[in-house]
Amino acid sequence: MKRSGRANPWIMLLLGVLLLAAMAGSCLLGAVDVEWNSEWLQRILLPLRLPRVLLSVVVGAVLSVCGAAYQSIFRNPLTDPYVLGVSSGASLGAAVAILLGLEATLWGVSGLALAAALFTVWLIYRIASIGNRMHTTTLLLTGVCLTLLISALISFLMVLNQEKMDSIIFWTMGSFGSASWTDVALTAPVAAVGIGVVLWYGRDLNLLLAGSEAAQSMGVDVERVKRVLLLFTTLMVAFAVSSCGVIGFVGLIVPHAVRLVAGPDNRKVVPYSMLCGALFVLVCDTLARYLLRPAELPVGSITSIIGAPLFIYLLYKNKKSY
Amino acid sequence: MIELQHITVGFGDKEILHDVGAGIEPGCITAVMGPNGCGKTTLLRCIGGLLQPSGGQVLIDNKRVQDYTPRALAQKVAFVRQQAQTDFEFSAFETVLMGRNPYQHRLQNESQADWDIVEQCMRQTGTWHLRFAKPGQMSGGELQRVMIARALAQQTPVLLMDEPVSNLDIAHQLDVMRLLRKATEKTVLIVIHDLNLALQFCDRLLLLHQGSALYHGPIAAGLTPDNIRTVYGVDTHMAEGRIIFDY
Repeated sequence: MKRSGRANPWIMLLLGVLLLAAMAGSCLLGAVDVEWNSEWLQRILLPLRLPRVLLSVVVGAVLSVCGAAYQSIFRNPLTDPYVLGVSSGASLGAAVAILLGLEATLWGVSGLALAAALFTVWLIYRIASIGNRMHTTTLLLTGVCLTLLISALISFLMVLNQEKMDSIIFWTMGSFGSASWTDVALTAPVAAVGIGVVLWYGRDLNLLLAGSEAAQSMGVDVERVKRVLLLFTTLMVAFAVSSCGVIGFVGLIVPHAVRLVAGPDNRKVVPYSMLCGALFVLVCDTLARYLLRPAELPVGSITSIIGAPLFIYLLYKNKKSY
Repeated sequence: MIELQHITVGFGDKEILHDVGAGIEPGCITAVMGPNGCGKTTLLRCIGGLLQPSGGQVLIDNKRVQDYTPRALAQKVAFVRQQAQTDFEFSAFETVLMGRNPYQHRLQNESQADWDIVEQCMRQTGTWHLRFAKPGQMSGGELQRVMIARALAQQTPVLLMDEPVSNLDIAHQLDVMRLLRKATEKTVLIVIHDLNLALQFCDRLLLLHQGSALYHGPIAAGLTPDNIRTVYGVDTHMAEGRIIFDY
Protein backbone atom coordinates (compact mmCIF):
# COMPACT_ATOMS: atom_id res chain seq x y z
CA MET A 1 0.00 0.00 0.00
CA LYS A 2 2.61 2.51 1.02
CA ARG A 3 4.11 2.76 -2.41
CA SER A 4 5.85 6.03 -2.93
CA GLY A 5 4.65 8.12 -5.85
CA ARG A 6 8.22 8.88 -6.73
CA ALA A 7 10.47 6.93 -9.08
CA ASN A 8 12.35 4.09 -7.45
CA PRO A 9 16.06 5.03 -7.38
CA TRP A 10 17.09 1.40 -7.91
CA ILE A 11 15.00 1.11 -11.05
CA MET A 12 16.42 4.42 -12.27
CA LEU A 13 19.93 3.14 -11.59
CA LEU A 14 19.22 -0.12 -13.38
CA LEU A 15 17.80 1.66 -16.42
CA GLY A 16 20.71 4.10 -16.37
CA VAL A 17 23.29 1.31 -16.32
CA LEU A 18 21.40 -0.50 -19.06
CA LEU A 19 21.40 2.66 -21.14
CA LEU A 20 25.13 3.24 -20.68
CA ALA A 21 25.86 -0.37 -21.61
CA ALA A 22 23.69 -0.08 -24.70
CA MET A 23 25.46 3.15 -25.66
CA ALA A 24 28.84 1.46 -25.34
CA GLY A 25 27.63 -1.52 -27.34
CA SER A 26 26.15 0.69 -30.02
CA CYS A 27 29.46 2.51 -30.44
CA LEU A 28 31.10 -0.79 -31.26
CA LEU A 29 28.54 -1.87 -33.85
CA GLY A 30 28.33 -0.53 -37.37
CA ALA A 31 29.24 -0.87 -41.00
CA VAL A 32 32.96 -0.54 -40.18
CA ASP A 33 34.38 -3.16 -37.83
CA VAL A 34 36.11 -2.11 -34.66
CA GLU A 35 39.85 -1.65 -34.92
CA TRP A 36 41.54 -0.47 -31.81
CA ASN A 37 43.75 2.14 -33.38
CA SER A 38 43.77 5.87 -33.52
CA GLU A 39 42.48 5.96 -37.06
CA TRP A 40 39.30 4.14 -36.08
CA LEU A 41 38.90 6.40 -33.12
CA GLN A 42 39.37 9.59 -35.06
CA ARG A 43 37.52 8.71 -38.24
CA ILE A 44 34.70 6.49 -37.03
CA LEU A 45 34.04 6.66 -33.31
CA LEU A 46 34.52 10.32 -32.46
CA PRO A 47 33.07 12.09 -35.51
CA LEU A 48 30.37 9.58 -36.49
CA ARG A 49 29.25 7.02 -33.95
CA LEU A 50 29.49 8.89 -30.67
CA PRO A 51 27.45 11.93 -31.72
CA ARG A 52 24.92 9.63 -33.37
CA VAL A 53 24.54 7.53 -30.23
CA LEU A 54 24.25 10.61 -28.04
CA LEU A 55 21.74 12.30 -30.32
CA SER A 56 19.51 9.23 -30.49
CA VAL A 57 19.55 9.00 -26.68
CA VAL A 58 18.68 12.68 -26.28
CA VAL A 59 15.92 12.60 -28.90
CA GLY A 60 14.44 9.40 -27.45
CA ALA A 61 14.31 10.97 -23.99
CA VAL A 62 12.82 14.23 -25.30
CA LEU A 63 10.09 12.58 -27.36
CA SER A 64 9.02 10.26 -24.55
CA VAL A 65 9.00 12.93 -21.85
CA CYS A 66 7.06 15.35 -24.06
CA GLY A 67 4.59 12.62 -24.97
CA ALA A 68 4.00 11.87 -21.30
CA ALA A 69 3.55 15.57 -20.54
CA TYR A 70 1.14 16.19 -23.44
CA GLN A 71 -0.99 13.17 -22.58
CA SER A 72 -1.48 14.66 -19.11
CA ILE A 73 -1.88 18.30 -20.13
CA PHE A 74 -4.44 17.49 -22.81
CA ARG A 75 -5.95 14.63 -20.80
CA ASN A 76 -5.88 12.69 -24.02
CA PRO A 77 -4.09 9.36 -24.38
CA LEU A 78 -3.73 9.81 -28.15
CA THR A 79 -1.52 12.90 -28.10
CA ASP A 80 2.12 12.66 -29.11
CA PRO A 81 4.86 15.32 -29.18
CA TYR A 82 4.07 16.23 -32.77
CA VAL A 83 0.40 16.97 -32.20
CA LEU A 84 0.82 20.75 -32.00
CA GLY A 85 2.43 21.01 -35.42
CA VAL A 86 6.03 21.68 -34.40
CA SER A 87 7.24 18.72 -36.45
CA SER A 88 5.36 19.84 -39.55
CA GLY A 89 6.87 23.28 -39.16
CA ALA A 90 10.31 21.72 -39.04
CA SER A 91 9.53 19.55 -42.07
CA LEU A 92 8.45 22.59 -44.05
CA GLY A 93 11.66 24.37 -43.12
CA ALA A 94 13.69 21.36 -44.15
CA ALA A 95 11.80 21.03 -47.43
CA VAL A 96 12.45 24.66 -48.30
CA ALA A 97 16.13 24.24 -47.42
CA ILE A 98 16.41 21.16 -49.62
CA LEU A 99 14.73 22.98 -52.50
CA LEU A 100 17.15 25.88 -52.10
CA GLY A 101 20.01 23.39 -52.34
CA LEU A 102 21.29 23.97 -48.84
CA GLU A 103 21.98 20.29 -48.16
CA ALA A 104 25.66 20.66 -48.88
CA THR A 105 26.09 23.54 -46.45
CA LEU A 106 26.81 22.61 -42.87
CA TRP A 107 23.69 22.86 -40.71
CA GLY A 108 21.68 24.35 -43.61
CA VAL A 109 18.72 21.97 -43.57
CA SER A 110 18.62 21.58 -39.80
CA GLY A 111 19.03 25.32 -39.39
CA LEU A 112 16.06 26.21 -41.53
CA ALA A 113 14.06 23.35 -39.98
CA LEU A 114 14.82 24.74 -36.52
CA ALA A 115 13.88 28.26 -37.56
CA ALA A 116 10.57 27.05 -38.96
CA ALA A 117 9.90 24.87 -35.90
CA LEU A 118 10.63 27.78 -33.57
CA PHE A 119 8.31 29.97 -35.60
CA THR A 120 5.62 27.30 -35.13
CA VAL A 121 6.32 27.25 -31.39
CA TRP A 122 5.87 31.00 -31.29
CA LEU A 123 2.65 30.72 -33.29
CA ILE A 124 1.24 28.02 -30.98
CA TYR A 125 2.20 30.02 -27.96
CA ARG A 126 0.44 33.10 -29.34
CA ILE A 127 -2.68 31.10 -30.09
CA ALA A 128 -2.57 29.57 -26.62
CA SER A 129 -2.38 33.01 -25.04
CA ILE A 130 -5.53 34.37 -26.64
CA GLY A 131 -7.95 35.17 -23.85
CA ASN A 132 -6.91 34.71 -20.24
CA ARG A 133 -7.44 30.97 -20.20
CA MET A 134 -5.75 28.38 -22.33
CA HIS A 135 -8.38 26.14 -23.81
CA THR A 136 -6.64 22.83 -24.43
CA THR A 137 -9.19 21.45 -26.87
CA THR A 138 -8.92 24.57 -29.02
CA LEU A 139 -5.15 24.32 -28.86
CA LEU A 140 -5.21 20.66 -29.86
CA LEU A 141 -7.52 21.30 -32.80
CA THR A 142 -5.40 24.27 -33.87
CA GLY A 143 -2.36 22.01 -33.83
CA VAL A 144 -4.11 19.42 -35.97
CA CYS A 145 -5.22 22.09 -38.47
CA LEU A 146 -1.74 23.60 -38.57
CA THR A 147 -0.26 20.15 -39.23
CA LEU A 148 -2.67 19.54 -42.10
CA LEU A 149 -2.04 22.97 -43.58
CA ILE A 150 1.73 22.58 -43.48
CA SER A 151 1.58 19.02 -44.86
CA ALA A 152 -0.45 20.38 -47.76
CA LEU A 153 2.21 23.04 -48.37
CA ILE A 154 4.95 20.39 -48.31
CA SER A 155 3.06 18.20 -50.79
CA PHE A 156 2.64 21.24 -52.98
CA LEU A 157 6.37 21.98 -52.89
CA MET A 158 7.19 18.35 -53.63
CA VAL A 159 4.92 18.14 -56.66
CA LEU A 160 6.42 21.32 -58.07
CA ASN A 161 9.93 19.96 -57.54
CA GLN A 162 9.65 16.26 -58.19
CA GLU A 163 13.38 15.77 -58.62
CA LYS A 164 13.88 16.66 -54.93
CA MET A 165 10.98 14.62 -53.67
CA ASP A 166 13.16 11.75 -52.45
CA SER A 167 15.36 13.95 -50.30
CA ILE A 168 12.35 15.63 -48.69
CA ILE A 169 10.60 12.33 -47.99
CA PHE A 170 13.78 10.88 -46.52
CA TRP A 171 14.20 13.88 -44.25
CA THR A 172 10.65 13.64 -42.94
CA MET A 173 11.04 9.91 -42.27
CA GLY A 174 13.68 10.73 -39.70
CA SER A 175 17.27 9.58 -39.47
CA PHE A 176 20.29 10.00 -37.26
CA GLY A 177 22.54 9.42 -40.27
CA SER A 178 23.78 12.99 -40.37
CA ALA A 179 24.16 13.41 -36.61
CA SER A 180 27.03 15.73 -35.73
CA TRP A 181 28.49 17.21 -32.59
CA THR A 182 26.73 20.46 -33.50
CA ASP A 183 23.39 18.65 -33.31
CA VAL A 184 24.28 17.20 -29.92
CA ALA A 185 25.55 20.53 -28.62
CA LEU A 186 22.33 22.29 -29.66
CA THR A 187 19.83 19.63 -28.62
CA ALA A 188 21.26 18.28 -25.38
CA PRO A 189 21.23 21.48 -23.27
CA VAL A 190 17.67 22.35 -24.33
CA ALA A 191 16.64 18.78 -23.55
CA ALA A 192 18.32 18.84 -20.14
CA VAL A 193 16.58 22.05 -19.09
CA GLY A 194 13.24 21.05 -20.61
CA ILE A 195 13.15 17.59 -19.08
CA GLY A 196 14.14 19.13 -15.75
CA VAL A 197 11.12 21.44 -15.97
CA VAL A 198 8.75 18.55 -16.75
CA LEU A 199 10.15 16.52 -13.84
CA TRP A 200 9.69 19.51 -11.56
CA TYR A 201 5.98 19.70 -12.44
CA GLY A 202 5.37 15.94 -12.04
CA ARG A 203 2.76 16.23 -9.31
CA ASP A 204 1.01 19.11 -11.07
CA LEU A 205 0.69 16.89 -14.15
CA ASN A 206 -1.04 14.27 -12.00
CA LEU A 207 -3.51 16.83 -10.75
CA LEU A 208 -4.15 18.15 -14.26
CA LEU A 209 -5.38 14.66 -15.11
CA ALA A 210 -8.21 15.24 -12.64
CA GLY A 211 -9.34 18.20 -14.77
CA SER A 212 -8.28 21.85 -14.90
CA GLU A 213 -10.79 23.12 -12.38
CA ALA A 214 -10.19 20.27 -9.96
CA ALA A 215 -6.44 20.87 -10.21
CA GLN A 216 -6.97 24.58 -9.63
CA SER A 217 -9.02 24.00 -6.49
CA MET A 218 -6.34 21.65 -5.20
CA GLY A 219 -3.77 24.41 -5.41
CA VAL A 220 -2.25 24.09 -8.88
CA ASP A 221 -1.64 27.36 -10.72
CA VAL A 222 -3.13 25.73 -13.79
CA GLU A 223 -2.64 28.47 -16.38
CA ARG A 224 0.95 29.08 -15.37
CA VAL A 225 1.85 25.39 -15.26
CA LYS A 226 0.32 24.79 -18.67
CA ARG A 227 2.09 27.78 -20.22
CA VAL A 228 5.50 26.90 -18.80
CA LEU A 229 5.20 23.24 -19.76
CA LEU A 230 3.94 24.08 -23.22
CA LEU A 231 6.83 26.45 -23.84
CA PHE A 232 9.56 24.05 -22.73
CA THR A 233 8.10 20.94 -24.36
CA THR A 234 7.57 22.62 -27.74
CA LEU A 235 11.10 24.03 -27.60
CA MET A 236 12.55 20.59 -26.86
CA VAL A 237 10.56 19.01 -29.68
CA ALA A 238 11.60 21.79 -32.08
CA PHE A 239 15.30 21.16 -31.42
CA ALA A 240 14.91 17.39 -31.50
CA VAL A 241 12.90 17.27 -34.69
CA SER A 242 15.13 19.68 -36.58
CA SER A 243 18.21 17.63 -35.74
CA CYS A 244 16.90 14.29 -36.97
CA GLY A 245 13.51 14.64 -38.65
CA VAL A 246 10.25 13.08 -37.56
CA ILE A 247 10.56 9.83 -35.64
CA GLY A 248 7.08 8.58 -34.94
CA PHE A 249 5.61 6.23 -32.39
CA VAL A 250 8.16 6.80 -29.61
CA GLY A 251 6.45 9.76 -27.95
CA LEU A 252 3.04 8.13 -28.13
CA ILE A 253 3.88 4.62 -26.99
CA VAL A 254 6.77 4.81 -24.53
CA PRO A 255 4.80 6.75 -21.86
CA HIS A 256 1.85 4.37 -22.25
CA ALA A 257 4.06 1.31 -21.94
CA VAL A 258 5.60 2.80 -18.81
CA ARG A 259 2.14 3.56 -17.40
CA LEU A 260 1.02 -0.01 -17.98
CA VAL A 261 3.91 -1.27 -15.89
CA ALA A 262 4.44 1.49 -13.31
CA GLY A 263 0.98 3.08 -12.95
CA PRO A 264 -0.22 6.55 -13.91
CA ASP A 265 1.78 8.69 -11.45
CA ASN A 266 3.77 11.19 -13.51
CA ARG A 267 6.48 11.37 -10.89
CA LYS A 268 7.30 7.87 -12.09
CA VAL A 269 6.07 8.05 -15.67
CA VAL A 270 8.24 11.03 -16.64
CA PRO A 271 11.63 9.80 -15.37
CA TYR A 272 11.05 6.19 -16.44
CA SER A 273 9.87 7.35 -19.87
CA MET A 274 12.98 9.47 -20.21
CA LEU A 275 15.31 6.49 -19.75
CA CYS A 276 13.14 3.92 -21.53
CA GLY A 277 12.60 6.24 -24.50
CA ALA A 278 16.33 6.94 -24.74
CA LEU A 279 17.11 3.23 -24.62
CA PHE A 280 14.38 2.39 -27.12
CA VAL A 281 15.45 4.91 -29.76
CA LEU A 282 19.11 4.01 -29.29
CA VAL A 283 18.43 0.31 -29.85
CA CYS A 284 16.21 1.03 -32.85
CA ASP A 285 18.78 3.31 -34.45
CA THR A 286 21.55 0.80 -33.86
CA LEU A 287 19.47 -1.86 -35.58
CA ALA A 288 18.60 0.58 -38.36
CA ARG A 289 22.24 1.09 -39.26
CA TYR A 290 23.48 -2.43 -38.46
CA LEU A 291 20.94 -4.87 -39.89
CA LEU A 292 21.53 -4.20 -43.60
CA ARG A 293 24.97 -2.60 -43.28
CA PRO A 294 26.29 -0.65 -45.08
CA ALA A 295 22.73 0.31 -46.13
CA GLU A 296 20.47 2.00 -43.56
CA LEU A 297 16.85 1.37 -42.70
CA PRO A 298 14.63 4.28 -41.66
CA VAL A 299 14.72 4.38 -37.86
CA GLY A 300 11.05 5.38 -37.69
CA SER A 301 9.99 2.09 -39.24
CA ILE A 302 12.16 0.13 -36.80
CA THR A 303 10.59 1.93 -33.83
CA SER A 304 7.16 0.94 -35.11
CA ILE A 305 8.05 -2.63 -36.04
CA ILE A 306 9.53 -3.34 -32.61
CA GLY A 307 7.32 -1.05 -30.59
CA ALA A 308 3.86 -1.91 -31.87
CA PRO A 309 3.93 -5.66 -31.06
CA LEU A 310 5.59 -4.95 -27.72
CA PHE A 311 2.91 -2.47 -26.83
CA ILE A 312 0.05 -4.69 -27.92
CA TYR A 313 1.56 -7.47 -25.81
CA LEU A 314 1.67 -5.16 -22.78
CA LEU A 315 -1.93 -4.08 -23.37
CA TYR A 316 -3.20 -7.65 -23.41
CA LYS A 317 -1.04 -8.81 -20.53
CA ASN A 318 -2.47 -5.94 -18.51
CA LYS A 319 -6.07 -6.73 -19.46
CA LYS A 320 -5.82 -10.13 -17.82
CA SER A 321 -5.13 -8.65 -14.42
CA TYR A 322 -8.55 -7.00 -14.25
CA MET B 1 -15.63 34.94 6.98
CA ILE B 2 -17.00 34.62 3.42
CA GLU B 3 -18.40 37.87 2.17
CA LEU B 4 -20.21 38.05 -1.17
CA GLN B 5 -20.38 41.63 -2.38
CA HIS B 6 -22.57 42.54 -5.35
CA ILE B 7 -21.57 39.45 -7.36
CA THR B 8 -22.53 39.83 -10.99
CA VAL B 9 -21.59 37.31 -13.64
CA GLY B 10 -22.45 37.55 -17.31
CA PHE B 11 -21.47 35.47 -20.29
CA GLY B 12 -21.95 37.52 -23.45
CA ASP B 13 -25.18 39.44 -23.01
CA LYS B 14 -26.69 36.81 -20.73
CA GLU B 15 -26.51 37.63 -17.05
CA ILE B 16 -26.23 34.55 -14.81
CA LEU B 17 -25.92 36.26 -11.47
CA HIS B 18 -27.13 39.73 -10.66
CA ASP B 19 -25.89 41.67 -7.66
CA VAL B 20 -25.80 38.77 -5.19
CA GLY B 21 -24.68 39.87 -1.75
CA ALA B 22 -24.51 37.81 1.40
CA GLY B 23 -22.35 37.30 4.45
CA ILE B 24 -21.98 33.57 4.84
CA GLU B 25 -22.28 32.55 8.49
CA PRO B 26 -19.07 30.77 9.59
CA GLY B 27 -19.37 27.25 10.98
CA CYS B 28 -22.82 26.78 9.46
CA ILE B 29 -24.13 24.64 6.66
CA THR B 30 -25.70 26.94 4.11
CA ALA B 31 -27.93 25.37 1.49
CA VAL B 32 -27.69 27.06 -1.90
CA MET B 33 -31.00 26.38 -3.58
CA GLY B 34 -32.94 27.36 -6.64
CA PRO B 35 -34.06 25.79 -9.92
CA ASN B 36 -31.67 24.45 -12.56
CA GLY B 37 -29.77 27.19 -14.33
CA CYS B 38 -30.34 29.84 -11.67
CA GLY B 39 -26.62 30.32 -11.08
CA LYS B 40 -25.87 28.08 -8.11
CA THR B 41 -22.82 26.44 -9.65
CA THR B 42 -21.63 29.78 -11.01
CA LEU B 43 -21.81 31.27 -7.53
CA LEU B 44 -19.80 28.40 -6.07
CA ARG B 45 -17.19 28.73 -8.81
CA CYS B 46 -16.83 32.43 -7.96
CA ILE B 47 -16.25 31.61 -4.30
CA GLY B 48 -13.78 28.88 -5.23
CA GLY B 49 -11.76 31.30 -7.35
CA LEU B 50 -12.47 29.34 -10.54
CA LEU B 51 -14.43 32.16 -12.11
CA GLN B 52 -13.85 35.86 -11.80
CA PRO B 53 -17.14 37.71 -11.47
CA SER B 54 -17.65 40.51 -13.96
CA GLY B 55 -18.84 42.72 -11.11
CA GLY B 56 -18.44 42.66 -7.35
CA GLN B 57 -16.09 40.54 -5.33
CA VAL B 58 -15.80 37.59 -2.97
CA LEU B 59 -13.87 38.14 0.27
CA ILE B 60 -12.56 35.25 2.32
CA ASP B 61 -11.07 36.36 5.65
CA ASN B 62 -11.20 39.94 4.38
CA LYS B 63 -9.06 39.15 1.36
CA ARG B 64 -10.29 39.03 -2.20
CA VAL B 65 -10.36 35.53 -3.62
CA GLN B 66 -8.31 36.46 -6.67
CA ASP B 67 -5.57 37.87 -4.41
CA TYR B 68 -4.87 34.41 -3.00
CA THR B 69 -2.32 32.18 -4.68
CA PRO B 70 -3.96 28.94 -5.88
CA ARG B 71 -2.04 27.09 -3.19
CA ALA B 72 -3.14 29.39 -0.36
CA LEU B 73 -6.73 29.32 -1.58
CA ALA B 74 -6.65 25.51 -1.73
CA GLN B 75 -5.77 25.52 1.96
CA LYS B 76 -8.91 27.59 2.64
CA VAL B 77 -11.48 26.26 0.21
CA ALA B 78 -12.18 22.75 -1.10
CA PHE B 79 -14.62 22.09 -3.90
CA VAL B 80 -16.65 18.98 -4.61
CA ARG B 81 -17.75 19.10 -8.22
CA GLN B 82 -21.00 17.90 -9.75
CA GLN B 83 -19.27 15.44 -12.06
CA ALA B 84 -16.23 13.55 -10.97
CA GLN B 85 -13.69 13.47 -13.77
CA THR B 86 -11.07 10.77 -14.00
CA ASP B 87 -9.66 9.24 -17.14
CA PHE B 88 -6.31 7.82 -16.19
CA GLU B 89 -6.21 5.00 -13.74
CA PHE B 90 -5.36 6.46 -10.36
CA SER B 91 -6.64 4.33 -7.49
CA ALA B 92 -9.13 5.80 -5.04
CA PHE B 93 -6.36 6.13 -2.47
CA GLU B 94 -4.09 8.02 -4.87
CA THR B 95 -7.04 10.23 -5.83
CA VAL B 96 -7.75 11.20 -2.22
CA LEU B 97 -4.03 11.71 -1.62
CA MET B 98 -4.10 14.44 -4.29
CA GLY B 99 -6.15 16.49 -1.83
CA ARG B 100 -2.96 16.86 0.23
CA ASN B 101 -1.28 18.73 -2.65
CA PRO B 102 -1.67 22.24 -1.21
CA TYR B 103 0.39 21.21 1.82
CA GLN B 104 3.19 19.43 0.01
CA HIS B 105 6.35 20.87 -1.36
CA ARG B 106 7.08 20.04 -4.92
CA LEU B 107 9.88 17.57 -4.49
CA GLN B 108 8.68 16.24 -1.15
CA ASN B 109 7.19 12.80 -0.66
CA GLU B 110 3.88 12.29 1.09
CA SER B 111 4.43 12.11 4.84
CA GLN B 112 3.02 9.67 7.38
CA ALA B 113 0.66 12.47 8.45
CA ASP B 114 -0.66 12.70 4.88
CA TRP B 115 -1.28 8.95 4.78
CA ASP B 116 -3.12 9.09 8.12
CA ILE B 117 -5.32 11.99 7.04
CA VAL B 118 -6.23 10.20 3.83
CA GLU B 119 -7.14 7.04 5.73
CA GLN B 120 -9.25 9.01 8.18
CA CYS B 121 -11.11 10.86 5.41
CA MET B 122 -11.74 7.63 3.50
CA ARG B 123 -13.08 5.93 6.60
CA GLN B 124 -15.38 8.89 7.30
CA THR B 125 -16.86 8.66 3.83
CA GLY B 126 -17.05 4.87 3.89
CA THR B 127 -14.60 4.48 1.02
CA TRP B 128 -11.64 2.86 2.80
CA HIS B 129 -12.56 -0.56 1.43
CA LEU B 130 -12.35 0.96 -2.08
CA ARG B 131 -8.82 2.25 -1.64
CA PHE B 132 -7.32 0.02 -4.35
CA ALA B 133 -10.23 0.49 -6.77
CA LYS B 134 -9.72 2.21 -10.12
CA PRO B 135 -12.38 4.66 -11.43
CA GLY B 136 -13.86 2.05 -13.79
CA GLN B 137 -14.42 -0.34 -10.90
CA MET B 138 -16.50 2.07 -8.82
CA SER B 139 -20.15 3.04 -9.10
CA GLY B 140 -21.14 6.68 -9.56
CA GLY B 141 -22.02 6.98 -5.88
CA GLU B 142 -18.74 5.44 -4.76
CA LEU B 143 -16.78 7.77 -7.01
CA GLN B 144 -18.73 10.70 -5.60
CA ARG B 145 -17.82 9.69 -2.05
CA VAL B 146 -14.18 9.38 -3.05
CA MET B 147 -14.36 12.95 -4.36
CA ILE B 148 -15.86 14.06 -1.04
CA ALA B 149 -13.01 12.28 0.77
CA ARG B 150 -10.52 14.12 -1.43
CA ALA B 151 -12.08 17.46 -0.53
CA LEU B 152 -12.02 16.54 3.19
CA ALA B 153 -8.33 15.61 2.87
CA GLN B 154 -7.67 19.23 1.93
CA GLN B 155 -8.62 20.08 5.54
CA THR B 156 -10.04 23.46 4.64
CA PRO B 157 -12.23 25.67 6.81
CA VAL B 158 -14.54 26.18 3.81
CA LEU B 159 -16.17 23.39 1.85
CA LEU B 160 -18.08 24.07 -1.37
CA MET B 161 -20.25 21.21 -2.58
CA ASP B 162 -22.10 21.21 -5.87
CA GLU B 163 -24.86 18.62 -5.62
CA PRO B 164 -22.72 16.17 -3.65
CA VAL B 165 -25.60 13.87 -2.77
CA SER B 166 -27.61 13.87 -5.99
CA ASN B 167 -25.98 10.62 -7.15
CA LEU B 168 -26.24 8.83 -3.83
CA ASP B 169 -28.86 6.50 -2.42
CA ILE B 170 -30.78 7.62 0.68
CA ALA B 171 -28.47 5.84 3.13
CA HIS B 172 -25.36 7.44 1.66
CA GLN B 173 -27.10 10.82 1.37
CA LEU B 174 -27.70 10.62 5.10
CA ASP B 175 -24.11 9.51 5.72
CA VAL B 176 -22.75 12.54 3.89
CA MET B 177 -25.14 14.98 5.58
CA ARG B 178 -24.37 13.49 9.01
CA LEU B 179 -20.68 13.82 8.26
CA LEU B 180 -21.15 17.50 7.42
CA ARG B 181 -23.13 18.00 10.64
CA LYS B 182 -20.27 16.49 12.63
CA ALA B 183 -17.67 18.75 11.01
CA THR B 184 -18.88 21.64 13.10
CA GLU B 185 -15.84 23.84 12.50
CA LYS B 186 -16.34 23.86 8.72
CA THR B 187 -18.26 26.48 6.80
CA VAL B 188 -20.18 24.53 4.20
CA LEU B 189 -22.00 25.81 1.13
CA ILE B 190 -23.96 23.02 -0.42
CA VAL B 191 -26.10 22.94 -3.54
CA ILE B 192 -28.91 20.57 -2.76
CA HIS B 193 -32.27 19.88 -4.34
CA ASP B 194 -34.05 17.79 -1.74
CA LEU B 195 -36.11 20.34 0.23
CA ASN B 196 -36.66 18.16 3.29
CA LEU B 197 -33.06 16.94 3.44
CA ALA B 198 -31.96 20.59 3.34
CA LEU B 199 -34.49 21.56 5.97
CA GLN B 200 -33.31 18.83 8.30
CA PHE B 201 -29.55 19.18 7.94
CA CYS B 202 -28.79 22.74 6.90
CA ASP B 203 -28.71 25.80 9.13
CA ARG B 204 -29.13 28.52 6.60
CA LEU B 205 -30.50 29.05 3.13
CA LEU B 206 -29.34 31.14 0.21
CA LEU B 207 -32.23 30.97 -2.21
CA LEU B 208 -31.48 32.09 -5.74
CA HIS B 209 -34.18 33.20 -8.10
CA GLN B 210 -33.33 34.21 -11.66
CA GLY B 211 -29.78 35.07 -10.74
CA SER B 212 -30.58 37.15 -7.67
CA ALA B 213 -30.67 36.25 -4.01
CA LEU B 214 -34.35 36.01 -3.07
CA TYR B 215 -33.70 35.00 0.50
CA HIS B 216 -30.70 34.61 2.79
CA GLY B 217 -31.19 33.60 6.40
CA PRO B 218 -32.20 30.71 8.67
CA ILE B 219 -33.48 27.86 6.56
CA ALA B 220 -36.74 27.23 8.42
CA ALA B 221 -37.88 30.77 7.80
CA GLY B 222 -36.83 30.67 4.15
CA LEU B 223 -38.31 27.45 2.80
CA THR B 224 -41.87 28.75 2.99
CA PRO B 225 -44.64 27.71 0.61
CA ASP B 226 -44.59 31.26 -0.76
CA ASN B 227 -40.87 31.22 -1.57
CA ILE B 228 -41.05 27.72 -3.00
CA ARG B 229 -43.90 28.76 -5.26
CA THR B 230 -42.03 31.87 -6.42
CA VAL B 231 -38.82 30.00 -7.19
CA TYR B 232 -39.96 26.60 -8.43
CA GLY B 233 -43.60 27.27 -9.34
CA VAL B 234 -44.64 24.35 -7.15
CA ASP B 235 -47.40 24.33 -4.53
CA THR B 236 -46.55 22.95 -1.09
CA HIS B 237 -47.71 23.08 2.47
CA MET B 238 -45.99 22.37 5.77
CA ALA B 239 -47.12 19.50 7.98
CA GLU B 240 -45.34 18.38 11.13
CA GLY B 241 -42.26 20.32 10.14
CA ARG B 242 -42.04 18.63 6.72
CA ILE B 243 -42.63 20.09 3.28
CA ILE B 244 -45.48 18.26 1.55
CA PHE B 245 -46.12 18.68 -2.17
CA ASP B 246 -49.64 19.51 -3.32
CA TYR B 247 -50.59 17.80 -6.55
